[in-house]
Amino acid sequence: MQRTHVNCTVNGDQVDFLATDDTSLLNALRDELGLISVKEGCGTGDCGACTIVVDDKINCACLMFAPEAEGLTITTVEGMALGEQLHPLQQTFLEGAALQCGVCTPGFLVAAKALLDRNPDPTETEIRYALAGNLCRCTGYDKIIRATQEAAVQMQTSKQRGAST
Amino acid sequence: MAVVHLQADHRRFTNGQNVITVEGNTVGALIDELEHRYPGLGHLLTDGASVAINGELIPNGIFERVEASTEVHFIAPIAGG
Amino acid sequence: MTVATKPRPYKYVGTRPVRHDGLEKVTGKARFAADLNMTAQLHGAFVRSPHAHARIISIDTSKAEAMPGVKAVVTGADFPNLDIKHPEFDTAVNIMARDEALYNGHAVAAVAALSAKQAKAAAAAVEVHYEALPAVLTIEEALADDAPIANFKNRTLFTKDTEPSNLASINQFDRGDIAAGFAQADIIVEREFTTTAVHQGYIEPHACVADCGQDGKVTIWASSQGHFAVRSKTADSLGWSTDRIKVIPAEIGGGFGGKTTIYLEPVAALLSQKAARPVKLVMTREEVLRATGPAPATKIHAKLGATTDGTLTTLASTMYFDNGSTKGYSALTGAMSVASYKLPNLELHAIGTVTNTPRSAAYRAPSAPQAAFAVETLIDEIAQHLNLDPIELRLKNAVVEGDLTAMGVPHPKIGFVETLEAIKNSDHYNSPIPKGAGRGVATGFWFNIGEQSSATVNLNEDGTAAVITGSPDIGGSRASMALMAAEELGLAVDRITPIVADTESVGFTDITEGSRATFATGMAVVNACRELISELQQRAATIRGVDIEQVEWVDGTAQIEGQDPLSIAEITALAKKTGGPLTATASLNAAGAGPSFAVHVADVAVDEETGVAKILRYTAAQDAGTAIHPSYVEGQIQGGSVQGIGWALNEEYIYDSNGEMENASFLDYRMPVASDLPMIDPIIVEVPNPSHPYGVRGVGETGIVPPIPTLANAIADACGVRMTALPMSPPRLLAALNQRNGN
Repeated sequence: MQRTHVNCTVNGDQVDFLATDDTSLLNALRDELGLISVKEGCGTGDCGACTIVVDDKINCACLMFAPEAEGLTITTVEGMALGEQLHPLQQTFLEGAALQCGVCTPGFLVAAKALLDRNPDPTETEIRYALAGNLCRCTGYDKIIRATQEAAVQMQTSKQRGAST
Repeated sequence: MAVVHLQADHRRFTNGQNVITVEGNTVGALIDELEHRYPGLGHLLTDGASVAINGELIPNGIFERVEASTEVHFIAPIAGG
Repeated sequence: MTVATKPRPYKYVGTRPVRHDGLEKVTGKARFAADLNMTAQLHGAFVRSPHAHARIISIDTSKAEAMPGVKAVVTGADFPNLDIKHPEFDTAVNIMARDEALYNGHAVAAVAALSAKQAKAAAAAVEVHYEALPAVLTIEEALADDAPIANFKNRTLFTKDTEPSNLASINQFDRGDIAAGFAQADIIVEREFTTTAVHQGYIEPHACVADCGQDGKVTIWASSQGHFAVRSKTADSLGWSTDRIKVIPAEIGGGFGGKTTIYLEPVAALLSQKAARPVKLVMTREEVLRATGPAPATKIHAKLGATTDGTLTTLASTMYFDNGSTKGYSALTGAMSVASYKLPNLELHAIGTVTNTPRSAAYRAPSAPQAAFAVETLIDEIAQHLNLDPIELRLKNAVVEGDLTAMGVPHPKIGFVETLEAIKNSDHYNSPIPKGAGRGVATGFWFNIGEQSSATVNLNEDGTAAVITGSPDIGGSRASMALMAAEELGLAVDRITPIVADTESVGFTDITEGSRATFATGMAVVNACRELISELQQRAATIRGVDIEQVEWVDGTAQIEGQDPLSIAEITALAKKTGGPLTATASLNAAGAGPSFAVHVADVAVDEETGVAKILRYTAAQDAGTAIHPSYVEGQIQGGSVQGIGWALNEEYIYDSNGEMENASFLDYRMPVASDLPMIDPIIVEVPNPSHPYGVRGVGETGIVPPIPTLANAIADACGVRMTALPMSPPRLLAALNQRNGN
């Protein structure tokens, strides 16, 4: 089958790869770009383990074809930390034991960051609905919700501090 | 010698008895003696049962030593998730 | 067995450090089995039976073999036929059908090709000629007088029967005299309960990579709860010797019992051997649901008697647990788990059935949740009839040390009373029930197990350490191992690196199951550390020129009267001059596993128009013995609770009349999501297990036992409807409400 040359921005880098029309973006990210944080839990958009940000909106990578990524800006959890500095969500997930097996964790982090980017001070209910597209079978969600709340507080605090200096 | 407690499943071999005093210095020797007295029972205990000695669950305990006062329970194997 | 218990207070045990494997999991670097790729790797695909039951007349693989990119095809004919009495006979048959397809989804052939797409196309081109046979899909159908045989190779366990049968096993437990016991009772409640199969629901589908060399040796990267078991089951299924198989544990994306057995590895090994290239097998979610381990469907009849003062006198129960196509997870532990109350008269029949549905597998406290649904519902009804507080009634009958389990063995030191009191004294239980809602309480019990574990502890040149075990870490056990080693050695926990090693790099270790990793593998770690400390004392004596008796080990240093203490780093720095590297290994078959009890309370509102049961508040107390890393103990309690909540309210296997699963996706197999739930408040109770150096009981499983009856009891309190069939999903609850209303 003929392959399409796809150009896009992934985690800030200009990248290109070849993909057949029926290759999912999930498989292209994993197999062509080595971004293994994008997990396939279901392949049908139900579990959120392959949640990525596409042009500022979260999406399941398994529900997009790779050629659809042409010209788009994509972020995965590999692009979340700033160099040696973890994103506050990564830090609060670690400190709050918000992961057990860890296979759903990248998808949750991406979805939680997308929430905090548009709503820096969400209620518990808002967090629960924003993360309702991500399945976790280990934690019962409790510590994930708390870690997200804690990250929101930290990010608000550091923003205020940044504004006052 | 030890006091052996059997499950209901085992009683069809023992004419309904479920507490039996058995000669032997180890759990394995108790099983041999039980097989001798009740043919077929020993096989069931070797393959399909765990053992509790004085209330403590011992995995695969056929070489465990027993004394006259030792309470030995043969129970069905437990695994887990 | 006596165990030297470490006195409290602890410096490291009970603290909450960041887990050692956490960073790679929040940065996306952790490698699960499907993330591994080898040079020149092939991709595999399965051919699966479209029939619930069929004789396989012939399989023609020639067209598939001729397709582009195809490098190998295997069928049942490529696998040895194990003796019917072989302990892994059923596992081997489930991995690849031989002459009989036993359920819709049963693997009958597999293909390896250059790409996953080519493998899938070739799998579709394998021609299987089936003769459809009558299928048995439910417990009732399996038990019917004229029932067709579901599996011609099945023989009933614990009997002398040698003929094929639809019964997997028959067990009985009894004590006292139930006829007399019921005669004594002032109140008797009796009901029949049914539950459907449910899946463990791990987010990571089964996956592995196998690389077989021309020397016939294979390396397998596997996602499993026990890589030594992957090795032995693969060896048994293939008739290979163990030394031909090396299993390297990948990170595991959830197991909950479902990854204690294997489905892929022998197939991957054989495909790799035939193709002489590495082969990767990854299941789709649909395959996971159609062909891997659900927990058994059940039908439980139970009858419970009590006197007016709330003393439970007698329990009689017949429990049918459906094993699925071959013996999987049994009725036995369901009956055995009914062990929480004194109950002088008891008669329990545990019967396993065989049907043409996927082979069941262990699921977290296997078979206990279904049994608890029945018994804890009846206890609630008795409390209600007698107008007694449900906690007080349970306290009155609760087992304590010396009381008998259902198997007749006296309980060791247990914390059931303490756990009941934790809920009784909780803020939740002492707060008013929200208006319009109902409150439910229920309890759960699980045995926990010991089994075999090994550990090696290496001290590095600079005094840091590596703790090497063979227990896959499915929920934070590496952190627990490091914490216990830190406490023993007196070494900061961040100076210890816990490692899960492959089958050739650490001693044999049983599966991470039965809540045993922190208990049994932890004990091996402790023993290795204690041996290492003796050696450190010897080295300190050598360095200082004193007798070993003069060296005391205190808080990570060798103390010698009148001299400066020697730290681990000072001793390891001189290791070369005092006898060489400092390392110790310990192995054991752990006895004295500590049973664990849980008590849950929930407030539930029922929407009478939609039948939705909404959980408003949930509190879960559990006896951990000792919480080594409290955050991950809480995580186990919370995770187990939510799995139980899903089981109670929504999850179910739905088959059509041909035995094809109709809801084989996460859209239609509805697991709880964040917006379905409130916070789950955990209460850790600590009644130390005297058989473990730190008092560990193991916490993985018990949390899933109470939620089903807790929610059923809360629903009954909220709207007066006793739900006896799972799931208590909106349509079923609505139907029950309509029935209550006389509609």
